[in-house]
Amino acid sequence: MKGLSGLFDNVRLAFGTLWANPLRSLLTLLGVVIGVATVVSMMALIEGLRLKVTRDLGQLGANTFTVSKWPGGVNFGRIDWRRFQRRPAFHLSDVQLIRQSCPAVKTASGQTGFGLFKVASDRAETSPNVFAMGATSEWLETTGILGIAEGRFYSPSEVEEERKVVVLGTEVAAQLFPGESPLGQTVRIGGKVLRVIGVLSKRGKFLGLFNMDNIVVLPLTTAMDAYGKDHSLRINVVAQGPELVQRAQDEVTAVLRRRRDVAPGAPNNFEIDTNESVTRTFNNLSRVIAAGGAGICLLSLIVGGIGILNIMLVSVTERTREIGIRKALGAKRGRILGQFAIEAVTLSFVGGIIGLVLGFGIAFLARWAFGFPTVVPPWAVVLALAMSSGVGLVFGIYPAARAARLDPVEAMRME
Amino acid sequence: MLIRLEDIRRYYTVGEEEVHALDGVSIAIEKGEWTSIIGQSGSGKSTLMNVLGCLDTPTSGRYILNGQDVSGMSDNALADIRNREIGFIFQTFQLLPRETAQANVELPLVYRGLRARERHERATAALEKVGLANRVHHRPNELSGGQRQRVAIARALVTEPSLLLADEPTGNLDSATGEEIIRLFEQLHSAGHTLVLVTHEPAIAARCPRAVRLMDGKVVSDGPGAQVALESRAERARAAAAAVAP
Repeated sequence: MKGLSGLFDNVRLAFGTLWANPLRSLLTLLGVVIGVATVVSMMALIEGLRLKVTRDLGQLGANTFTVSKWPGGVNFGRIDWRRFQRRPAFHLSDVQLIRQSCPAVKTASGQTGFGLFKVASDRAETSPNVFAMGATSEWLETTGILGIAEGRFYSPSEVEEERKVVVLGTEVAAQLFPGESPLGQTVRIGGKVLRVIGVLSKRGKFLGLFNMDNIVVLPLTTAMDAYGKDHSLRINVVAQGPELVQRAQDEVTAVLRRRRDVAPGAPNNFEIDTNESVTRTFNNLSRVIAAGGAGICLLSLIVGGIGILNIMLVSVTERTREIGIRKALGAKRGRILGQFAIEAVTLSFVGGIIGLVLGFGIAFLARWAFGFPTVVPPWAVVLALAMSSGVGLVFGIYPAARAARLDPVEAMRME
Repeated sequence: MLIRLEDIRRYYTVGEEEVHALDGVSIAIEKGEWTSIIGQSGSGKSTLMNVLGCLDTPTSGRYILNGQDVSGMSDNALADIRNREIGFIFQTFQLLPRETAQANVELPLVYRGLRARERHERATAALEKVGLANRVHHRPNELSGGQRQRVAIARALVTEPSLLLADEPTGNLDSATGEEIIRLFEQLHSAGHTLVLVTHEPAIAARCPRAVRLMDGKVVSDGPGAQVALESRAERARAAAAAVAP
């Protein structure tokens, strides 16, 4: 009880001192404020991005995985792309093989991108930033991302017969055919004339980056014929059920190793990515960013801490007489130490609160400015406040110890 | 017996030189006594006051305060003794400028660990006792010198200490206000408080029932205040005459 009332007295004193020099306190706190605001806003961005990635990938469907010669997900660090380049390509026949010889596989589709094109109708044209991709007719079923808003998707026979048909993303459709139905109209993409048979439903940006509404999807055969045959496919595989995903992967791996002549014991010359593995890669990346940010924040907190150290030393010097009086009246060393340490902690804690508010503000602004989801995780709030108080304690302890060691007679003589 | 000093020595080293601020002082003070310690500057009276107030520890000798040997106590133990046994009244008042009279008087009780309510009640009562009931919420800069010294006296009284220790309590006051404070001390003495008053003014020492005169860190006389004050005046006159003699 005695300790608690002492603590309460010290906190009251600390706020009194803060209040007595508001501008000085605020300037001292700046370092801590910036440090905490950085942590909070950065954590909010990373956490928001992580949630979005998880959600976006979740919509790919729980039972799906992809096969490709290229590594999937988010990649960082040095990657020897030539190694992947040398791997044999995936063709339509591989898709058919998987569909036919893997019992745990429900269906599979092949897809590949051909780059960015300008799409034109008779009256309008888009910027040359529409992503054109070719896919087999099972594509819709295997990605789970998109539905059809209008018209239909192409059939297996249309793929087989290389029909000149196309399905547009909503943005492309809206740009080329404002206020009218695009169905049955013709568009030109890279010199080829194609008939519009469907419009994809609105999807938004995938992973916040790739605009899924600014694409056109053609039958794979048609697209290869028009834009190049040497593309390796990405194969989207759907398992018969969630519990069969692993078995499906094993079957696909076995089939493909045989097909691609991989020697026993040698590593696969292709990649299998699940949503989970992409999420894991992204989480790794966000951890790296977070660690980097933590370093920056730590530096800023150290700078803030030095500010606190400085101001507390000034405070002890200014209040030497007060310390003398307190000691003469019976304050023990621990009590004086506590008073000044708590003052430093209170100072930096208040800085932490201001930084927190600022960080929330930045996170909110980022959401508003970039259309980016931002979520401040509760642990980041706790971490920020703990770190700021910790800084106050670490940098406040030395001035406090100096105050506690003062000789009361000498101290009271100070003017 | 409240205070017993036995052969107290306090030596400082200033540069190469050893200063004997107190050089074998032995005094005994009974409970309820009012004693003044008189001496010119450099006589050692401030050092004696610091030793008596447990603000300083002697180099050698024994100091028994209220039955406890405090000469070799640690810093923290001395802080406790100061808080419980001693009420300080300083020449420069030594009030906390940012706190109200009430908060200043409560301060020693804070370090005793009393609850806010009890502190408040006791501080209010102490301020009433010194005639400042209507000034409790004033800060020191809103009070006159005499009022400030009364706040300091209230602060000294609030812990009900066994010893009131006043260091030149009228030194910063005009003579009328000084007289008021001395009268307050007379009242406190009549009420049974033990008072030790450090002064360089023979006129004030003369008002005390007992005075101890220090010179060069030694007790040179100890007797009724009026008598010691006379000696002190005579000594000063001799010193002044010696100073102007050809």
